Amino acid sequence: MQPNKVRPIQRFAQSVSKCSAEATVYGKCIAADYNSVHKDQCVKEFMRLKDCFLAASKTSK
Amino acid sequence: MRLNFPRACRPQQWRPIIARRTYAFQAPSGPIFDVFNRNTKWLQKERAAANVEHSRQADYLKDEVAARVCDRLQDIKRHFPRALDLGANSCNIARALSRPTPNHDNPDGPPPRPPQPSFDLVLSNLSMHWINNLPGVLAQINSILKPDCPFIGAMLGGDTLFELRTSLQLAEQERRGGISPHVSPLADVRDVGGLLQRAGFKMLTVDVEDIVVDFPDTFALMQDLQAMGESSAILGREMGAIGRDVLLANDAIYRELHGNEDGTIPATFRVIHMIGWRESDDQVKPLARGSGQVNLKDILEGGK
Repeated sequence: MQPNKVRPIQRFAQSVSKCSAEATVYGKCIAADYNSVHKDQCVKEFMRLKDCFLAASKTSK
Repeated sequence: MRLNFPRACRPQQWRPIIARRTYAFQAPSGPIFDVFNRNTKWLQKERAAANVEHSRQADYLKDEVAARVCDRLQDIKRHFPRALDLGANSCNIARALSRPTPNHDNPDGPPPRPPQPSFDLVLSNLSMHWINNLPGVLAQINSILKPDCPFIGAMLGGDTLFELRTSLQLAEQERRGGISPHVSPLADVRDVGGLLQRAGFKMLTVDVEDIVVDFPDTFALMQDLQAMGESSAILGREMGAIGRDVLLANDAIYRELHGNEDGTIPATFRVIHMIGWRESDDQVKPLARGSGQVNLKDILEGGK
């Protein structure tokens, strides 16, 4: 790995950090009932988070 | 005279019922469970070591624990001519002692077996949590120590990285409908006491310290773990990287469940310190059971 190359995970982290509001909503949805989490329990909140993340990762490129 | 054998017992009728017979056997030292993939661990350590700059930056945890191990070492007023640092990583203990490099050895493999007890001291700093056969390695450490010589070790255990463990589980459960192991199973404090005892150490001291490190986000935590060479190497883990969706969900859940108020996230490292001594005749030993002359109740209750 070259020292000055930005790793994909760093770009990923940067994009994620721009969506803290959506992340909080999603986190709250999970935390509200974390003893019985099942698949797609918070799919709406997650999709909103993911849309935000995708938009953020597009603009940062 | 004709004997009336029951049909099944007539000698003429005996035939080998089972042509091949396998023997039940007992392993000499109990079953050994393989938990970690040693090859994966080796690759991860190589990868971490290849990036010198980043892996030295991520040495903070091992340096800190090495300093604490040295504190314990300096409590023992003795000279150790021949010491072994088992799983030395980047010689953190040697640097903490600021001495030239002592003998060090590959943490993944079992220690070499000298023909007779030859070490005055064995140290181990944060590398024993990747050993598959911990009872066996501890027994070997005991066997290479000279009588009345100490083993001082520190390993990660108990609730280490419980935040990451729980949030990854929740993220995977919600996104993919199932979980796979990402954080190693770790020895607990009471297990360590039992293990040391089983390996034949005497005068045990086991204590626990929690070191909590704050990270800006989960990605920084995982990058540092990778640079430390501490990525997951459990057998039966899902190969390949964690999916993007799960990482995204994990960061949100980690922050919500465990995050600090200032936006950072804490990661707990529970370090189990252990000191055990090789048995020797001139060591102080506990008295035999029932030989006590003073009633403890009198002392504790103020002689009532």
